[in-house]
Amino acid sequence: MAITSQASDDGQELTILIQGRFDFGAHQEFRDAYERISTSPKRYVIDLKGATYLDSSALGMLLLLRDHAGGESAAISLINCSPDVRKILTISNFEQLFRIS
Amino acid sequence: MSERLSVLIAEDNAADRLLLSAIVTREGHRALTAADGQEALELFCRERPQLVLMDALMPVMDGFEAARLIKLAAGETLVPIIFLTSLTENDALVHCLEVGDDFLAKPYNRVILGAKIRAMDRLRRLQQTVLEQRDLIAKHNEHLVAEQRVAKAVFDKVAHSGCLNAPNIRYLQSPYALFNGDLMLAAYKPSGGMHVLLGDFTGHGLPAAIGAMPLAEVFYGMTTKGYGLADILREVNAKLKRILPVGVFCCATLINLSFHRRVVEVWNGGLPDGYLLRGGSNERIPLVSRHLPLGVLEPAVFDEKYEVYPLLEGDRLLLLSDGLLETRNHAGELFGEQRLLDLMAANEQRGQLFDEVQQALSAFRGETQDDVSLIELSLIEEARSSPLTFSNDGNDTPLDWSACFEFRAETLKHMNPLPYLLQLLLEVQGLRSQVGALYTVLVELYSNALEHGVLRLDSSLKRDVQGFAQYYGERRERLARLEEGFVRFHLELRPEHGGGRLIMRVEDSGGGFDLAAARACEQAAEQLHGRGLKLVSQLAEKSDWENDGRGVSVEFSWSAQA
Amino acid sequence: MEAEYPVLLDTFLADSEERVRLLAGALQVKDAQLLRLTAHSFKGSCSNMGALSLADLCKQLEDQSERQSFDSAAVLVEQINREFAIVRILMKSERQRFRG
Repeated sequence: MAITSQASDDGQELTILIQGRFDFGAHQEFRDAYERISTSPKRYVIDLKGATYLDSSALGMLLLLRDHAGGESAAISLINCSPDVRKILTISNFEQLFRIS
Repeated sequence: MSERLSVLIAEDNAADRLLLSAIVTREGHRALTAADGQEALELFCRERPQLVLMDALMPVMDGFEAARLIKLAAGETLVPIIFLTSLTENDALVHCLEVGDDFLAKPYNRVILGAKIRAMDRLRRLQQTVLEQRDLIAKHNEHLVAEQRVAKAVFDKVAHSGCLNAPNIRYLQSPYALFNGDLMLAAYKPSGGMHVLLGDFTGHGLPAAIGAMPLAEVFYGMTTKGYGLADILREVNAKLKRILPVGVFCCATLINLSFHRRVVEVWNGGLPDGYLLRGGSNERIPLVSRHLPLGVLEPAVFDEKYEVYPLLEGDRLLLLSDGLLETRNHAGELFGEQRLLDLMAANEQRGQLFDEVQQALSAFRGETQDDVSLIELSLIEEARSSPLTFSNDGNDTPLDWSACFEFRAETLKHMNPLPYLLQLLLEVQGLRSQVGALYTVLVELYSNALEHGVLRLDSSLKRDVQGFAQYYGERRERLARLEEGFVRFHLELRPEHGGGRLIMRVEDSGGGFDLAAARACEQAAEQLHGRGLKLVSQLAEKSDWENDGRGVSVEFSWSAQA
Repeated sequence: MEAEYPVLLDTFLADSEERVRLLAGALQVKDAQLLRLTAHSFKGSCSNMGALSLADLCKQLEDQSERQSFDSAAVLVEQINREFAIVRILMKSERQRFRG
């Protein structure tokens, strides 16, 4: 499990890259990725290209980020979802809360 | 920094013994001396020194044997033993380290001996800390397990107060389901039929179990009072949203089985597909998750829209949590959805399916951990209703009143008035024993007035499965657009021979219907759309339809001792 | 160590006299095991007291006893007797220094 984050040059967008299993073990690292930054991004991109697995705790963490980013007004995209990850997001109907591609 | 230790010196040579005890005393420790192994062992058992300096070769009992017995007597406490030896062969020195913890060659060097005593003392204290922490962890764990046992006992009382043991339910649930976050609830409705909920909270352990209590309370409380699926879903979602921290939620499927009306209502938010399996064919309808899990959305945007399917004799409903699909075998493979689909496709007798799934699962997973929640529901003929419990005694004096309620468009759109009427009527103790029949009749008359009267739906649509779906689609749309119309309940209670009588008249704003035609149609299509009118005639003591089909009146009575 | 030093010298001398007697006895009855253990133990205390040539003779005796060669052992016991006589004189005079 490795989570890294990268802010865009203008500081408006934060990309969080998830590698490996995205589950409860990643809890602190994931929070650090958006809490311990100097910028205040308007948009968030979660890159799941390297995520091999995602469980309901991970969904909970995404909701925490959404809350942190302003709840209803949060702009969060989940990108590069594998079919397995995509399926879990679909069952939970998370496309109602996040932009998923 | 280092505390004063008791050091046992076992040495047969008096001069060496003296020399060692002088060094040990100089280091600030207390020296105990023994001249052979036997003496050393006895002294150890009596004084429990923290460290031992042991000559290897001694008369009576040699150092190796004495060391072995001292280690045995010390139990899990580490008492470091430093062998004193002028042996030089590798084998002998290795043996010293196997039985003891270190060795010191003769001639003795005071500085080295002092350093070795300190090093061994560090080792001893480290070991002591490890033991203390281990004991502490064991104690905490014991405490936690005890707490979980209590929590589970309390929870079982609440969660299993329902009817999971009903003859039409079969289920599979791990004994630790609560702490896996899995939840299974079932309760009879006052009108017969039942509500069933399969839930899966995020996470594990107590945090996952914590939301189960309020959920179970709302589910049972509202089901017993006659609330429908939509009301319960709204309430549960709002409650969980309010009390659970962000990121904790409950994936759930809620089912409303109506035995009389022969329909099943399904709402799935976040659980894997459940299935409606037709008994008479190999048709399989997936019950797909169309919503976010419970406890995620604000009440204002929560969507309680559910799907309605006709239910026939022999049909089966299968609900599962992701624990089943994610069961792994020894090779680490997932059980997966395809295995389940294959099982359903291969199934020949619907009655056997549950066993087939169960067998396939245990064959697949072997001895590995059980985290599976699976539930199968079927239709049963007899109507049962929940035994209601009342917090007060009710009014047992004959009541003499009448009241009229008119529910108009806005109300009809947004709420189900029946639970309120039921609560009111159940204040009358004499009616409590008839709650099942009473509520069933209320539900039938209200649905009839709303659907055929106010919304003017054509029940002949329900002749086949497709029409059935269309019917409920239309119902939803028309209700959403409804601007005027009403359903009126006239309730009249009269004392009678020490008991009493309820006369209830229901009318609506619709154009009425052709009673004879409705009855004929109902008979023809009995399989698919309930037996509403017939049921009312059977359950109420008296029932009279007005000839224009716009009103109906029913009566219930009770005798003095009721 | 200074205070215990004279006691240590006394103890060593008394102990060593006992060991020398034990060696002679063991040789007489040809008890190789007793001979070896006594030599081993004597070796240890000699080395601790700095009597290095005596310790070395004890070591040789320990080895010869192990091999059961009593002839060589007899020679070594005799040498140990002589060497101990010297060590004894040296230690006694050392002991004198602390008497006053």
